[in-house]
Amino acid sequence: MPVMRAVIVQSDMITSYGRGTDSCWKGLHSGSSGIRKLGRFRTNSLHSGYASTVGGLTYHEDASLVEQMLIGLFDGKYRPIPDDASLILATTKGEIHLLEKELLDGSSVVSGSNPQRLLEKVSVMSGAMGKGMVSSAACASSSAGLALASSMVQAGRSDCVLTVACDAVTEFVFSGFSSLMALDSVPARPFDKDRGGLTVGEGAAYALVMSEERAAREGYEIEGEVKGWGLSDDANHMTGPSRESEGLILAIKKAMKAADTGISDIALISAHGTGTIYNDAMEMKGFSAVFGGKQIPVYSVKGGVGHTMGAAGLIETLIALRSLKEGKALPTVNLVVPDDCAEGWVSRESRPICSECSALLTNAGFGGINAALVLSRWRGK
Amino acid sequence: MICISGIGWIFDGKYGCARTGHKRNAESDLPPSGEVFPYPFKNFGRLDPQSRVTCCAVGLALRDARIELSPNQKKAIGIVGTCSSGSLASDIKYFRDYIDSGRTLGRGHLFIYTLPSSPLAEAAVYFGCLGPLLYIDDRQDPFGTTVRTASEMIRASEAGTMVAGVTEEEGAAYFVLQKAKQPDPGCHILPADQAMIGISTIGDVVARVIDINKHGA
Repeated sequence: MPVMRAVIVQSDMITSYGRGTDSCWKGLHSGSSGIRKLGRFRTNSLHSGYASTVGGLTYHEDASLVEQMLIGLFDGKYRPIPDDASLILATTKGEIHLLEKELLDGSSVVSGSNPQRLLEKVSVMSGAMGKGMVSSAACASSSAGLALASSMVQAGRSDCVLTVACDAVTEFVFSGFSSLMALDSVPARPFDKDRGGLTVGEGAAYALVMSEERAAREGYEIEGEVKGWGLSDDANHMTGPSRESEGLILAIKKAMKAADTGISDIALISAHGTGTIYNDAMEMKGFSAVFGGKQIPVYSVKGGVGHTMGAAGLIETLIALRSLKEGKALPTVNLVVPDDCAEGWVSRESRPICSECSALLTNAGFGGINAALVLSRWRGK
Repeated sequence: MICISGIGWIFDGKYGCARTGHKRNAESDLPPSGEVFPYPFKNFGRLDPQSRVTCCAVGLALRDARIELSPNQKKAIGIVGTCSSGSLASDIKYFRDYIDSGRTLGRGHLFIYTLPSSPLAEAAVYFGCLGPLLYIDDRQDPFGTTVRTASEMIRASEAGTMVAGVTEEEGAAYFVLQKAKQPDPGCHILPADQAMIGISTIGDVVARVIDINKHGA
């Protein structure tokens, strides 16, 4: 039986740069950062006072931060989501603000933070009434969610899957990352010699994944193809990546094999690039191992949009597809002097790339989770 | 064909696996570590309760499948699991502790369990599982969806062996899935695709295994 190809036919996002992939891509391309001083809660005793937040959201209101972001994404600007679409919600902490409210002043219910509640809301907001599920793989949640959606399409389990990703900057996650000494005291500087940690960010995105056949039948314009994916675990440590990078290397190799893609077909690498010392070094070690002497343009968006946790993979997927379309690898925002391990791979400037080639995207998360995707523009049969 | 080659569970104060059936540990709700863990589990006592139960059930399932494990050799085994309450208990514990500290300092070792995938990750780290790791919550069909997703990962060559299952307040049940020419006659286990029909709780898993062991598949 021929394998059904999984394509993205409609998408949108909201980040600190505003609504839409366009504004995010332009912001990153210009080198400007969406990271600002955070006024949402007190940060005096925490290790950073910076975050990348979406403008116009209200904290500790009845509608959670992620609900406020998601409502904006399903406002009727694009074609309605087919009501038979299966739904995958990818998040790490979803509506954790409801738990915060209850424990701080008793004005909510803790069970309201269960992601299944958010899944029900997203189903109503988006109109995707098919089978729904929550997927979580730490900060690789939405790249894993997109892999799951593509796998469902390839396996013939569904021909239309809406993948929705979201996470917000809350005191819960901010204090948690601070407790792990993972935050940089200044805005994150991925792959920089002087990087000191990550900056928490928030955002939401969706991608409607369809079988190629249904997309053609219903006249959708195809934005890109999820050609292959690979998931792995370091099996090494709960919070730190393996310094040998073997888990990431495994994920990348699986993704490239599944996509039937060789090294020469990869035009850019959208790295996880959190800005922590170990993550960025581990990633560069992995890229060097896979690509050998061939230095491919690598960038991280996290100096601009921050680390949007469960939403990161999907936001980065849409940005990578846009980069292919424009034929440009983005600069890494906030990069000043590349670390030795990243020299020649990352840049402060945008670089021309082959837009007919593929993009490799990597994410990693607590628990040693790794995800790699191979993406391309639609090349037809 | 993808078959279930091992099952392990913790349920109703007992623990068990397909080949040996139910047992009770008079000392604890969890099995004696020697029956679950092939080598010392250094920080087991520091794990959150959900991770402890998950690691024990995964260990029983891997032992049931006769998979040899060593601390020095990682394997291409993946884990897909779920829990209907996500990480709620750990979320409350972390944030209450943070509030009690005057909202000045969280505790990292509590924060790491606030991800629903953390119990699965603890199992992956201890057992050396290099394959995919994914938490997936389908409230309508928790066992069916985790097992189906894991089976698709084997078909897609993501891993040769997958562990899939559910952890809840009342316990946990995990299955080991592998490619096989035919179901293992030694434990009368059905092919994975059929085995989940009618299974929605951990109690259903235990009842089904006991029934199969008594009457055959």
